[in-house]
Amino acid sequence: MNCIEIQAVLNDYVDGELAPAETARVETHLVGCAGCRAQVGSLRNLVSAAAALPKEIAPNHDLWPEVGLALRAGLNSSANLQELRPLRRSSPTVHWLLPLAAAASIVYLATFSRPPIAPAAINAQSWTVASLEGAPRVGRRSFSGQAQLHVGQWVETDGTSRAKLASSSIGEVSVEPNSRLRLTTARSTDHTLQLAQGKMSAFIWAPPRLFFVDTPAARAIDLGCAYTMTVADNGDGELHVTLGYVALEHGGRESIIPAHAKCVTRRGFGPGTPFADDAPEPLRAALTRFDFVRGAASRALKEILAQARPEDAVTLWHLLARTQGTVLAEVFDKLAEMHRPPAGVTRAGILAGDATMRQAWGRALGIGTF
Amino acid sequence: MTYVDRVAAPFAIVVTEAPDAEADVIRRAQARDMRAFERLYRAHVPRVYAVCIRMTANVTRAEELTQKTFVTVWEKLPLFRGESAFTSWLHRVAVNTVLADLRAEHRRTQRVFTTEDPAIFETPPSAPPAGTRMDLEQAIAGLPPQARAVFVLHDVEGWQHNEIAEQLGVAIGTTKAQLHRARKLLQEALQ
Repeated sequence: MNCIEIQAVLNDYVDGELAPAETARVETHLVGCAGCRAQVGSLRNLVSAAAALPKEIAPNHDLWPEVGLALRAGLNSSANLQELRPLRRSSPTVHWLLPLAAAASIVYLATFSRPPIAPAAINAQSWTVASLEGAPRVGRRSFSGQAQLHVGQWVETDGTSRAKLASSSIGEVSVEPNSRLRLTTARSTDHTLQLAQGKMSAFIWAPPRLFFVDTPAARAIDLGCAYTMTVADNGDGELHVTLGYVALEHGGRESIIPAHAKCVTRRGFGPGTPFADDAPEPLRAALTRFDFVRGAASRALKEILAQARPEDAVTLWHLLARTQGTVLAEVFDKLAEMHRPPAGVTRAGILAGDATMRQAWGRALGIGTF
Repeated sequence: MTYVDRVAAPFAIVVTEAPDAEADVIRRAQARDMRAFERLYRAHVPRVYAVCIRMTANVTRAEELTQKTFVTVWEKLPLFRGESAFTSWLHRVAVNTVLADLRAEHRRTQRVFTTEDPAIFETPPSAPPAGTRMDLEQAIAGLPPQARAVFVLHDVEGWQHNEIAEQLGVAIGTTKAQLHRARKLLQEALQ
C-alpha cells in the first residue's frame, strides 16, 4: 500500500471496519510512514474527543410549561394534536406550542364539550359561557345551553350548577358550584375576571400578563399556566397552580407561584408565601402564622426553617425578600445548603437586598421567568 | 427508590429514577398522569436537548424540537411496551424528530442536497474570531447540516452506519462519505 491508497481507507481503519488482511497491510505501511501515522493520530484524537463530548446538555431555560400546555390541550383532543402539525416555523422561540394548545382547545371546545361552544373572535369584547350542569345564571337570567358574557355581567352558579367560560384568544375557565364571577375587562391588552366567591379553574394559553383574576384579597396575573383559585365567603382565598406560573399581587406585595405550588391569600394582607402543594402540615401552619399573625413571625420562621425540605425552595426563596438581617442570613444559609446558588449570586449580595441576584437564583430554581 | 442527582432546581429538577421506580413512573405516564410524565421530562430533557442542539446548531430550533419530541413521546407512550430501554426509545424519537425537521427544512429552502455527492461539504466551518481557538462544539456547529447530522450520530452518539443510512434513507456508502468529509472539515477547522 502507498500513501494514496492509505488515504482511501484511513477512516475505516480508525473505525475498525477493515478486514484483518487489509488492516495488516495498513499497519505495515504505517510502520514506515510518519506522515500517515500522524494522520491516523489526528483522526483518532478527533474521534475520541467526539465520543467524550457530554451526552447531556441542559436547555437554557425550562421548556416544560409549553410542553405541558400542549399536552393538556392534547388530552382534550389528542387526535387533533397531530393534525395541527406542522408547526409554524415563524412563531417566536419557545412559544410555538401556545398556538398549538389554543388551536387544539378550540377544536376541543367545538367538538367535544356539551353543549358546543363556538370559538369567540380574537379579542372579542365578550366571552362565551356554557352550562356544564344545572342552570347557571348570566345576569338575572338562567340558561341551560350557552350564552354570551359581556363586560360587567356576572356569572353565578348555585349548589347544583357549573359553567364554562371560553375565549379563543385567552383560554377557558370552569366555574364550580356556588360561585360568583364577573367579566370586568375584555380588551386586546387585558382580560379580567372578578371572582367574588367560589371556585374557578383556568387553563390559559394567552401570552403572559394578558389574563387577570381579581379577588377580594389579591390579583392573580397569568404567566402562562393552568390553575385553580378559590375564594371563601370572607374573601380569603387559595391559589393552586398546576402548570406554568401565576403571580399574585396586592398592595406592592408579590408572590410567584410555580406549578405544583399553592399560595394562600387573606383579605387585608394580600398573598402569603407560596408553598409546595405537598408541603408538610407543620410548615403550612407556620407559614400562616408568619404571613398573617402579627407578632408571630419570628417564632414561625424558626419552625419554617426547621421543617423546610429541598422541595420547599419556593418558600425559602420568597422569604429572601421578606426577611432582613440575621433572619435573612438564616434563610439564605438554609436555602444554599439545599440548593447551591448559581454563579454570580453571593451571600453578601443577597443579604444586601440585591434583587437581580435574587431573581437569578429564582430562575435557577425554576420559580419564575422574570 | 428515587434519588436526586442534581438538586439545582426543584421545579426544573433532574431526577434519576432507579429502574423499577422509572418503570412505575412510565406506567403512570402511560395512564395519562401528567405529573408522572413531567418527571420523565425532567429526568431526560438534557439528553434530548443535547441531541437537538448538536444536530441543528440552533438554539431556537433545538428548543422547538425538544418540545416536539416530548409531545410525540406523550402521544406514543401508550404504545411503548418496554422491549427496549426507555432512554433508547426516547433517543430514537428525538433523532427522528430532528431528522424529519432537517428534511422539511431542506425542502423549504430548496437547497440542492445531493447526498450522494460529498463535494457539497467542501466549505469548511466558519473561522473563529482572530485570537480564539475553535473548540470541537463550535466546529461541529459550523458543519453543513447533513454532514453534521451524520457526524453527531456516528461519532458522538455511537450509531452504526447501517442505522444512520436507514434513518436518512441513503446508502451506507453515502453516510461513510459524509462522515469522512465531516471529519476532514473538522480537522481543518481545529488546526
